[in-house]
Amino acid sequence: MSNAQQFDTRLVGEHAGEIAVESPLAYSMHRSGAPKAKADTTVTLRERAFLGHLTLRGGAIVLDEALRDVLGMSLPGEPLGLVQDEAGERSIQWMSPDEWLLIVPGGEEFDVERRLREALGDAHFAISNVSGGQTLLELEGEAAREVLMKSVAYDVHPRHFPVGKGVTTVFAKASVILRRPSEERWELVVRRSFADYTYRWLLDAGEEFGVGVER
Amino acid sequence: MSQPNRLKTGGRVDRSRQLTFTFNGQRYQGHPGDTLASALLANGVDIVNRSFKYSRPRGIVAAGAEEPNGIVQLGSTEAGQVPNVRATQQALYQDLSARSTNGWPNVQRDLMGLVGKLGGQFMPPGFYYKTFMAPASMWLTYEKYIRKAAGLGRSPTENDPDIYDHRHQHCDVLVVGAGPAGLSAALAAGRAGARVILVDEQEEMGGSLLSSRESIDDAPATTWVEKVLKELSELEHVTLMPRTTANGYHDHNFVTLHERCTEHLADLAPRAGGRRQVRSRMHRVRAGQVVLASGAHERPLVYAGNDVPGNMLAGAVSTYIRRYGVAPGNRLVLSTSNDDGYRSALDWAEAGREVVAIADARQNPDGELVEQARAKGIQIIAGSAVIEARGDKRVAAAKVAKIDIEGFKVTGPVEELACDTIASSGGFSPVVHLASHTGSRPTWNEELLGFMPSPVKGMTPTGGAHGVYALGQVIADGFKAGSAAGEACGFERQDASLPKVDERREGAAVALYQVPHQKATLRGPKQFVDMQNDVTAAAIELATREGFESIEHVKRYTAMGFGTDQGKLGNINGMAIAARCLGRTIPEVGTTVFRPNYTPVSFGAIVGRHCGELFDPERYTAMHQWHVENGAEFEDVGQWKRPWYFPRTVNGKTETMHEAVARECSAVREKVGILDASTLGKIDIQGPDAREFLGRVYTNKWAKLAPGRVRYGLMCKDDGMVFDDGTTSCLAENHFLMTTSTGGAATVLEWLEIWHQTEWPELDVYFNSVTDHWATMTVTGPEARKLMAELTDIDLDKDSFKFMDWREGKVAGVPARVFRISFTGELAYEINVQANYAMHVWKKLFAHGDKYGLTPYGTETMHVLRAEKGFIIAGQDTDGSVTPEDLGMHWAIGYDKPNSWIGKRALTRPDTKRTDRKQMVGLKPKDPSVVLEEGAQIVFDPNHAIPMPMKGHVTSSYYSPTLQSGFALAVVMGGHQKMGETVYLPMVDGQVHEAEIVSPIFLDPKGERQNV
Repeated sequence: MSNAQQFDTRLVGEHAGEIAVESPLAYSMHRSGAPKAKADTTVTLRERAFLGHLTLRGGAIVLDEALRDVLGMSLPGEPLGLVQDEAGERSIQWMSPDEWLLIVPGGEEFDVERRLREALGDAHFAISNVSGGQTLLELEGEAAREVLMKSVAYDVHPRHFPVGKGVTTVFAKASVILRRPSEERWELVVRRSFADYTYRWLLDAGEEFGVGVER
Repeated sequence: MSQPNRLKTGGRVDRSRQLTFTFNGQRYQGHPGDTLASALLANGVDIVNRSFKYSRPRGIVAAGAEEPNGIVQLGSTEAGQVPNVRATQQALYQDLSARSTNGWPNVQRDLMGLVGKLGGQFMPPGFYYKTFMAPASMWLTYEKYIRKAAGLGRSPTENDPDIYDHRHQHCDVLVVGAGPAGLSAALAAGRAGARVILVDEQEEMGGSLLSSRESIDDAPATTWVEKVLKELSELEHVTLMPRTTANGYHDHNFVTLHERCTEHLADLAPRAGGRRQVRSRMHRVRAGQVVLASGAHERPLVYAGNDVPGNMLAGAVSTYIRRYGVAPGNRLVLSTSNDDGYRSALDWAEAGREVVAIADARQNPDGELVEQARAKGIQIIAGSAVIEARGDKRVAAAKVAKIDIEGFKVTGPVEELACDTIASSGGFSPVVHLASHTGSRPTWNEELLGFMPSPVKGMTPTGGAHGVYALGQVIADGFKAGSAAGEACGFERQDASLPKVDERREGAAVALYQVPHQKATLRGPKQFVDMQNDVTAAAIELATREGFESIEHVKRYTAMGFGTDQGKLGNINGMAIAARCLGRTIPEVGTTVFRPNYTPVSFGAIVGRHCGELFDPERYTAMHQWHVENGAEFEDVGQWKRPWYFPRTVNGKTETMHEAVARECSAVREKVGILDASTLGKIDIQGPDAREFLGRVYTNKWAKLAPGRVRYGLMCKDDGMVFDDGTTSCLAENHFLMTTSTGGAATVLEWLEIWHQTEWPELDVYFNSVTDHWATMTVTGPEARKLMAELTDIDLDKDSFKFMDWREGKVAGVPARVFRISFTGELAYEINVQANYAMHVWKKLFAHGDKYGLTPYGTETMHVLRAEKGFIIAGQDTDGSVTPEDLGMHWAIGYDKPNSWIGKRALTRPDTKRTDRKQMVGLKPKDPSVVLEEGAQIVFDPNHAIPMPMKGHVTSSYYSPTLQSGFALAVVMGGHQKMGETVYLPMVDGQVHEAEIVSPIFLDPKGERQNV
């Protein structure tokens, strides 16, 4: 749909490099620290900060076409689906019947949004940049699933949560987007304002597994 | 003397290792594999407690969860205290320390016992209600002493140093109980490939097989248990959970499990690898199917003196001998109504102790076990029962007599047999507790003489819980249940390859509950039904005589089956007695409701990790660290932590809130202040019909709002009452950014979605929350423009960037949207930047703002400043009963909009047009030093007789440093027409404040300051 305002918030100009950028976990790392992995650590936690997050709304058919044009990627074929490009750098997750979450390398989201808007033309759709409002956490290790079982009500058994699935679910007393991009790795997309709570909860839940934070 | 009752051989205890423990201050020895109860019995400890009401000495009766007497206080340190632990379920560990929960000064010499003895007949059911009711004001005093005398353990007075947690579990089949039925059920479902969770409350899995006389596949039953457990542990999708009790069975096969992870090791959880371990854990299981293999509890017989230490369940006697290698006495008399009871006599004899006699209530006992007993030369007295146990602190003799069950009377001479132990068996009651948690009432089975679980969707009872008791049949029934449960979850049916178990010929049982005595129940010696709650057969009879006919009333009047006991041993007997007294059958009387939890659960496990810092989420803005480092006091707004005020410390003296707020207010009115407003809800609205949609959800007009402009809007519910407000900016022709109140963010988004999805799906518009994406900082005050000019490339000229405009540009090098909206009434710029850059911008503003007196302010100052301007806060000045007109905001209502909008119809009703509605006004206290109380009621005539007609109330009230006076916003009936009138506010302390009704806009009524 034309006539929406795209706001490019990229830092440009000669002093752009001097501007401190803080991820949603900046304060948490400062306050709660980031324990290092030990020899017997069975779960590690990593923040992938400053990625480009776009919420896509619209009909599946038009969005799918536009995404194939712009990114060479298709929408996930079914509800709760998660697809990635070959490098694993870009992903599209089904969120609801007319909503998908597109995550791309940081900075790329502005160009992607612009090209998607062009490709979509007069179709009815919406694209909202939410990159500053959420962050992505990765959980890895043999105890990752146990940490999740302590935290989310959703069934994370491999039979019920295969690779390529993603859900929005209750996490302790908050909510997260939980996804499984590969056999070993789980991803949590966390809202900025809940990131500290989620981080502290994960450190606590991971304590018995010697949780280590990779920075 | 060391463990006098410990047998030389047998049992599953490790005699090669000694464990030392303390009970009531006395040191004893036991072995790994013991429970506290078995170790106490091994040491010949007869009295483990005093009873709840009569303070009678009590000993161990059972060997499992149904134990009514052996309830102890555990813990050697204050922080490690645990009340209500069943000695029969507590594994022994080195240095375990336990005390009786009851008995003062101690269980051996209990003063309250005298009261019980002498006053016993004066303490009928309802005694407390009847005796201590008057005067009513004294009840609290009485209660304290009754409580002390009654006991039931105490909670620790120190913080628990241990950690607990929760785990969400999902499975196809949850099998509750790992006895023969549960094991074979788990095997069937597990082999089919189902995700199976097998839980068992005991230290070891195996249930009754751990103390069984029978063999499976020509080997001891425990060999089969080991084999099955090995196979189960090798199945990838089977989870075995010992020391885990299924405590609550809730709707839709949601079952809560309580796993005790370290309570068999020590008081407090030992560290593992230097890390804290979880002490106990609540599992929240969502199961496709539940197989209830919870077994059956043996029913004791109800006879006189049946609570004297040395009276035990027949099955428990066998368990102590066979599983723990403890013979809990020397001379046994067995009173039974069935064949199963004979096992205890056989085990007793094989342990080398003397069986004095078996009193069998049946006229012609003839099963295989009976024959075995005869073959051992044990005396069997048919058609008889133990009618009374003699003894004080330990059984000394059993009175045995012929009885007529039907006629409920003693028919023959009474023979007194010297003995120290009386075992009794009245048959079995399936453990229906969990099934009953779902609300399904159990059904009486006349043939099996017990209540069976009624159908529950997705639940299959099996084995003892299903009324199947013969071992071979139990294993087959379990397998069938497990296979069917797997099948119900989409797995293949499993063919049973059942182990070989010898069939045993069994004689029929008779129905015997309360044993008759020569004396009538009400006059004879006490016959206990519920030992934990000290309920006697006489109490139940009395309750029925007093007119309590419903079993639920009998329960409440007598306390039968109350509390942690939940009627495990006594309920069926109690119902049978009530039935006898009322001349009804047991199914006519029915059961009481069994409630969760099956056995006590520690609060720690219920709380899990939702405590301390993790009790509730704290939401932070991107500038939170700055607020913390600059000494902010925080206020909870929903889950957000917002700076409340920023107290300064000068010369070691820290400002009070009042001082800080006065300083912050003056800074905004005279210089410039800054507020972190990031918590306001922000909704990105896109679509060709966005504008039309806004017109339908807001009361005012949106058709002509141009890009670059901002408008204030009021939102009503369909009843015409204000529920949120905020500004919405037009970003482009089809693109808007809506702001909501902090607390209303989620509600408003849902509200928009509901109306869009259900009422106006034809409108092309999408809503997305961008609350967290943007950080918002409000720079406001007369010096705001000068400060902004130093940091932005936006043209700030007052004619090109007017009030209620927004512009895009850079602030401190960061792309920003800046909105000229004002919640303070002063010149204001609201800066939105992508949250990751917010801290930089915030700090830059301070770097440049010092020379202008830039002052951070919090929510308290924000409240004062907006109230001075008469700006409402939805939810504070409104309460769901206030219309836009009540607020005097007619200017924000577009009655003439082409389409209808939410609330319009309601606002045209006569009731919303009444002129005497509560309307928003300002209140100026006559005494400027008075700050009226928020919520204070307003009356027009303070001399009116009480009750005075209440005409309104204060919604917001503060002290204004600018006005140098207290001031308030209030709603007053017909207030808009009462300007200048005086109202009165009577306070609880008798003071009556006087105030004048004024305009709610106290400052700058023309709005000149924000327009500069």
